[in-house]
Amino acid sequence: MIIKNIFYSIIASSILFSAAVNAKTNVIWWEYSEEGSGLNDALVKYIQDGFNQSQDSVNLEIIFKEGEYNEATRTALLAGVGPDIVSSSGATYVAKYASGGFLMSLEEVAEKNGWKDKILPWAYNTGVFGGELYSLPKNYESMLYFYNKTLFEENGWSLPTNLGEYEELAEKVQAKGMYPFAYGSSGWPMTHEHLAGNYLNTVAGPDSVYKAMIGEKEWTAPEFVEALELLKKHMMAGYWSGSLENYYAVGWDDFSAQFHNREAAMLQIGSWGFEIATALEGDEWGWAPLPILTNDGGEPNYQLSVGGTLSVNAASKNKNAAAEVLNWIVSNRETIVEFTKSRNFGAWLMPLYYEASDFGDDVDPRLRDYLVDFSERTGNGHYGYTTWTYYPPEAGTHIWKDMEVVWAGDITVKDFLAEQQKLWEKARKNDELLPIAAR
Amino acid sequence: MAPFHFLMRHLSNRELSSWFFLAPVILIHMLVVAIPSISSLALCFTDWNGFGKINFVGFDNFIELFDDRVFKKAIIHNLIWTALFLTIPIVFALMAAFLLTGIRRFQMFYRFVFFFPYILASIVNCLIWKYLFHPIHGLTSFFNSIGWESLATSPLTTKETSLYAVAFVDGWHFWGFLVVIYITAMYQVDEDLYEAADIEGASKWQKFKYVTFPSIRPMFLFSFLIIIIWSVPAFDYVYILTSGGPAYSSEVVANFMYFEAFRNMNVGYASAVGALMFIYVFFVLGFFWSLRKLGWEI
Amino acid sequence: MAVYSKKTKAAIGNHVILMLLALIIILPVLVLLFNSIKPDEEFGVNPLGFPQTVRLMNYYDAFVAGNYAKIMVNSILLVAGTLAVCLTFSSLAAFSLAVLNPNGKSTIMIGIYLLVGLSIPAQLFILPLFIIWKNLHLNNTYVGLIIIYSALNAPFAVFLIRSYMIQLPKELFEAAIVEGASTIQLFTRVALPLSWPVFLTTGLVVSLAVWNEFLFAVTFIHNEEFKPISSILYSFQNRRDENYALISAASVMMAAPLAVLFILFQRNFIAGLTSGGTKG
Repeated sequence: MIIKNIFYSIIASSILFSAAVNAKTNVIWWEYSEEGSGLNDALVKYIQDGFNQSQDSVNLEIIFKEGEYNEATRTALLAGVGPDIVSSSGATYVAKYASGGFLMSLEEVAEKNGWKDKILPWAYNTGVFGGELYSLPKNYESMLYFYNKTLFEENGWSLPTNLGEYEELAEKVQAKGMYPFAYGSSGWPMTHEHLAGNYLNTVAGPDSVYKAMIGEKEWTAPEFVEALELLKKHMMAGYWSGSLENYYAVGWDDFSAQFHNREAAMLQIGSWGFEIATALEGDEWGWAPLPILTNDGGEPNYQLSVGGTLSVNAASKNKNAAAEVLNWIVSNRETIVEFTKSRNFGAWLMPLYYEASDFGDDVDPRLRDYLVDFSERTGNGHYGYTTWTYYPPEAGTHIWKDMEVVWAGDITVKDFLAEQQKLWEKARKNDELLPIAAR
Repeated sequence: MAPFHFLMRHLSNRELSSWFFLAPVILIHMLVVAIPSISSLALCFTDWNGFGKINFVGFDNFIELFDDRVFKKAIIHNLIWTALFLTIPIVFALMAAFLLTGIRRFQMFYRFVFFFPYILASIVNCLIWKYLFHPIHGLTSFFNSIGWESLATSPLTTKETSLYAVAFVDGWHFWGFLVVIYITAMYQVDEDLYEAADIEGASKWQKFKYVTFPSIRPMFLFSFLIIIIWSVPAFDYVYILTSGGPAYSSEVVANFMYFEAFRNMNVGYASAVGALMFIYVFFVLGFFWSLRKLGWEI
Repeated sequence: MAVYSKKTKAAIGNHVILMLLALIIILPVLVLLFNSIKPDEEFGVNPLGFPQTVRLMNYYDAFVAGNYAKIMVNSILLVAGTLAVCLTFSSLAAFSLAVLNPNGKSTIMIGIYLLVGLSIPAQLFILPLFIIWKNLHLNNTYVGLIIIYSALNAPFAVFLIRSYMIQLPKELFEAAIVEGASTIQLFTRVALPLSWPVFLTTGLVVSLAVWNEFLFAVTFIHNEEFKPISSILYSFQNRRDENYALISAASVMMAAPLAVLFILFQRNFIAGLTSGGTKG
C-alpha cells in the first residue's frame, strides 16, 4: 500500500512538475557526475541557475550521469535521442559524433555571436570538422611541473633545465629517501599517456611530434625511440612513487598525500594539479613548465589540450535554445571565471581570451602567472600536443594501454612505436585524424 | 505407467500448449537478448566504427583477430580463469557444505557469512580488496612491516599475479553461492546411507567419496556447466580492478571486446569477438549434451 | 555415549575449519564496516583497525548526499515489478518444461537457448536493444527496465523453478485431471501452491541481481528522479578520488535490506534450493 501510494505520488508529482515548466522551453544537458568533489553542485549553481536566472524563456536542466558517461551518451545519440546539450571527454568523441551526423553545426551561432573573437584559436580549432564548428571547448589543460619549494630551498635544489640536471635532481631526491615525483595510475590508468606525452614533447620535441602526426615523419624515428626509452628508464628507476608496481597501485588520493607529506618532492601532472598544490599546508609550493629533457635543454613548451567539450544534439527538438545556452556560457566570462576560481582552476577553465583584470586580487598569483604565461608562450608558438586531444582513438588507447607492455619488457620501444605508426596510418587512411594545431 | 499415460492423453495437444506456456518468456528474452544480439553479431562481417557508414569486409575481422596478440592472450586467460573457477571455489564450497551437514549449532551463522559477499555489489567487493591490497595502507604494508617483502606489493599490479588476484576477489565473492547450492543438494542424501557407512567404520573422506558425492553429482555437474558458461562473459571484476593490466596480464575476452567497441570504436571487430564467444558456448553445450547421452543426468 | 563423544569431537573439527573459512569472509567485511564509521581524517593513520573515534554521521551524510530514501524506493519498485513479471513468466515456462512436456524436443531446444543467452555479455546487445526500446517508447521508463531485467533473469529462474516442479508428485496432477481441471488450472491450483518455496529462492536471487544492477539502469534511465540504488556507489567517487568513509557507509546501507531479506527467508531459501537441487 505504501509502495502504491509512493508510486502514485511520483506520477502525480512528475505530471505537476512538467506542467509547471511547460511554459518554457526545456533544455536537457547530460554531464558526467563528480558528486564526491562537489563539482556537480558548483555546475548547477554557476551554470544552470546562472543561465536560468538570466532569462525566462528557456529552462536549463543538467542531469549527472554516473559511471561511464561517454557510453550512455553514445548509445542514446545513436538511437536518435539523448540530451539537447551533449558533453564529451574530448575531440575523439566529437569527431565520431560529428561524422555520424549526430551533432548540429555551431558554425552559424558562432559566426553570429563572434565566438572566434572570444575563444582561443587553437582550442576553437579542436572543434572544427570538415570546415564547420561542432563543439565548444569546455576546459583547457596542460601538463605542468609542481614542486615543493620549501623542500627545494632546504636542500639547495634548483629546478632542472636539461636532462642532466633532471636526472641529477632525481638522484638527490631519492638519496633523501623521497620519491622524485608523486604519481600513480590506480583508478585512472590513462595517466600513462600523461607521462608518454611529456617525454615525447620534451625529449623528441613538438616539431617532431607534429611532423609524425601529419605524416611527414615516422613514429619509429630515433628521437621518439629515445624519448620512450628514457621514460622507461626513469620509470624503472622509481621516479614515480618508487617503483612500477607502486605507480600502478597509487591513486589520486595517495599521490596527493605523497606531495602533501613530503614523501615526494615534485609532481608532474596536468594543470588540474593546482587543486593538489593549493592544498599543500606547511610548505610552500611552486610550479614551472616541464623542462626540456635534452642535453642542452631549450625553450619549454605547453602541451595543448581540451579536456571536455559541449555540443548540440542534431536530434534535439530545442536546438536553438540549446545553442543559446552555449552562447550564454561563451559570452559570460565573469561567471566562468568565478566558477573555475571556485574549483581552483582545476575544472571549467574555458580557453577564452582572458585579461589579467578578469581574475581579481584574490587569485593566487602563481595561478595567475600560469594563465598569463600559458597564453604568452603558446602565442609565441611554444606549444606541444597532448595525446588525448590530438590522437585518433586507436592510437590514443594504444599509447597508454600498451605502454604497460613496454614497461613490462614484453615488447621493445621500437616495436611499440611501429605499432603506433601502423595505427596512425590506418587512421589516416580511414580519415579519422583529428584537427591538429599547425606550427 | 498407466496413470501417466492418462495424463499424456489429457494433454494431447501438449506440444502446442507447452509452447503456449513458454511463449511469454521466449518472447521477452528474444526481444531483449536474442534479436539485439543477432543484429550485433551480424556486424562481425563489417568495419563499422559505431557511427558512420557500414562496409562489408567479409572475414577480415576474423583473420585480423587470429593474428591479434592481445586477443590470443585474452583467450588463454579466459581458459585459465575457467580452470581456476572449476577447481578452487568448487573444492572449498564442497568442503564447507560437507562440513556444514555435520554440525547443528551455528549453521545459520556460517551460511549467512559464506553467502554475504554474494549479496554485495561487485563494485563494493572490488573496493574492499583494492583497499586491502593497497601497498601503502593495506595488508601489503602490514606484510612489509613484519618483513615479508615478497607480499609487500599489491598482487593486482604485478603482471605475474594480476590475473590470479582478480580471480581470487571474484572467487571470494562467488564461492558462497556454490556452498548454498551444494548444501541443499546434500540435505537430500539419505541418512541411512551415512549410518550404514558409520557401521562399516568409514572415515569422513570415505563417506564423502562413496555417499555424498555420488548423490549430488547432478547438481555438481550443473554447477560445472554454469561456471563454464559464466566464465565466458566474465568482465566486471577485471574491468574494475585492473582493466586488463598491467601489460594485458589480466586481459580477458569480454574486456577486450569492451575496449574494442567503446574505446577504439571498432564495433565490427568487437562483434567478431562476440561471434567467437557464441561458437565456443555451443561447443561447451554440445560436450555436456554428449555427457547426458552417456547417462550422466544434468 | 562413546559414539556421542566421537561425534562431538568430529563436530569440533568441523567448526575449526568452518571458522577459518568464515574468517576469510568476515575479516575483509569487518574492514568495510570499520571504514563506514571512521572519520575521513583517520584513514591515513589507522587504515585497517577499529576507528579511534566512531563517526556514525557517515551514515547520515551518505543517506542525505546519496538521496538514499528516494533511490531505495525506486529500486524497490524495480525489484517488485521485475519479481512480478519475471516470476510469472518463468513459472509458466518452468511448468511447461517440467510438467507439460518434460522430455520433448522443445524442452531441449529452450534449455540450450536459455543457456546460450546466459553467456552473452551485455555490451554486445545493449546498443541495438536501446534502439528497439526507443522505437517502442520504452526507454526512460520503469516498465522498459523491468522487462529487460525480467528477460535477463529469466533463464536462471526458469531452470531453478523447473528443477523444483519436475519432482512434484505426478499423482496430484492426475487427481486434478480426474476432477476435470484444465491445463491452466493444473498450473494455478496444483503446481503453483506446491512450489512456493522455490519462488522465495528464485525471488531472492532475482531481487539481488536487480538491486545491484547498474549498467542497464544508467543507460536506459535518464531522469534524476528515477535513479536506482546502485547509483549511490558512484555518488562518492569520481575519476580522481574516492571518499572511502562515505562509500563504505553507502555500501553497507545498500547491502542491509538484502541481508535482512536473506536472514528472514533463509530457511525457505535453503528449502527452495534443496528441492530444486538434485534434479536440476
